[in-house]
Amino acid sequence: MIRLRGVSKEYERRKILRDLDLQVDAGEFVFLTGPSGAGKTTLLRLLYAAERPTNGEVWVAGRRVDELSRARLPLLRRKIGVIFQDFKLLKRKSVLENITFVLRIHGVAPREAQRRALQVLKRLGLQHRQSALPDTLSGGEQQRVAIARALAYQPRLILADEPTGNLDADLASELLSLLCDINYQGATVVVATHDHAILESIPARTLVLHQGQVHYDGMWPP
Amino acid sequence: MIRHAVAEGWLLLRQRGAVSLVLALALAVPISLAGMGLTLRHWLGPMVGLSGQSSTVAVLLHPRLDDRQRRKWIADETAAHPEWSISEVSNEDLVNRLGRWFPYLDELVASGDASLPPLIEIVTAVPESVAILEDRPEVLAVGPRSSIQQSLGRVSRHLAWAMGVLSAILLAGAVLLAAVWVHLELFRHADEITIMRLVGATERTIRGPFLVAVAIPGAVAAVLSIVGSLTAASGLSRLTSDLGLSPIAVPPAVLVVQAAAGLVLPVVAAVLTLARHATDELEG
Repeated sequence: MIRLRGVSKEYERRKILRDLDLQVDAGEFVFLTGPSGAGKTTLLRLLYAAERPTNGEVWVAGRRVDELSRARLPLLRRKIGVIFQDFKLLKRKSVLENITFVLRIHGVAPREAQRRALQVLKRLGLQHRQSALPDTLSGGEQQRVAIARALAYQPRLILADEPTGNLDADLASELLSLLCDINYQGATVVVATHDHAILESIPARTLVLHQGQVHYDGMWPP
Repeated sequence: MIRHAVAEGWLLLRQRGAVSLVLALALAVPISLAGMGLTLRHWLGPMVGLSGQSSTVAVLLHPRLDDRQRRKWIADETAAHPEWSISEVSNEDLVNRLGRWFPYLDELVASGDASLPPLIEIVTAVPESVAILEDRPEVLAVGPRSSIQQSLGRVSRHLAWAMGVLSAILLAGAVLLAAVWVHLELFRHADEITIMRLVGATERTIRGPFLVAVAIPGAVAAVLSIVGSLTAASGLSRLTSDLGLSPIAVPPAVLVVQAAAGLVLPVVAAVLTLARHATDELEG
């Protein structure tokens, strides 16, 4: 599902990722961890084509992402559900509209989009806030809307950047079990986190990034 | 996604109602002005010879000349003045032309109370040279042969040019206004656009609302400009009819051009602005 070959990323001569080789198979659940500045978010951004690598090849779902034309990018991104660290919700749209909008982009008919959006909101305990605007929600609620949006169209790959950062322990655990369910249904899940409690809650492959390189690749705890 | 584009475009318009109105008016005024320029040119053209630099001098021949004598006279003068282009105006055409200046001529001719003498037209670069015909016994009268007609034509041409240039400048300003508005809206919605791209929205989905948001004031401008031209033509027609001149009518082709300009120009401005600001998705 994901393959990186000799990937490096530099910002103003500062190396964030160094000659990274990595493979994640379809259906895997992978934690990506490491200290702040280790390159977790950068790696995820390379995967959903928000950035190009300075060197190397990035392959996602059989496509070389770093060479994709602008016209093809939306098609790639529709295969990926991204849970952003800063939520990235459309502020002028209600909770429900934030989700139906993405479903409509994916070609789902309006009624079906509404039905599926309500279903996923119910699953995340947000159906009572469906008409609210994102700015009126708490951090945890916004995080859940972002998750609902990423899950709504049942993507083959889910990339989650610190998805539990704004959630209390119960909600965090609920979210992880949700991601596990989705993984169980066949989706590949990559979760970037620096929270060791989360790493220990689920036995899964863990990649530890340190100074832009994979420092450890195996089950957690080592 | 068309429904999305229309809904979002309408929302943009509602948020910026005053700008939309200014944009519609800024487009409508020059389009209307240009339309009136073309209409006046169309109306004045046959009267003052707007095209070409040569002038047409009308020569009335004596009514007692029969057909054979008239044809011989024309042949003789053509041979004597090869630089002139001499043609005879048919009686029907003459009635039509004079009808522009004398609206009741049709009825007069039909009633038999008026008969028209044969009219000859001489097209020449030097209208003054036709003066030599004044002394001929076959000639009843020679029309204006000074360069007044040419001067009038020149003034009309300049006026048409000035109106055209003014319209073009105002129109360029309006198109620039549309482009700047789209540019500002793009900046205002930059975060939203980024999010839309990240969740897989195509450029068409992203740009649609902006195109709708400028197309609506464009459509309003098209309607306003057509109403403006028709109103101005109607107002001027009242004036010309008081002077005994034919009414001014806006040709249908001009109305079509006005409608097309109103609809197309702001959309083109928006398309170009959106294309300029479509940044490369892959940074780095």
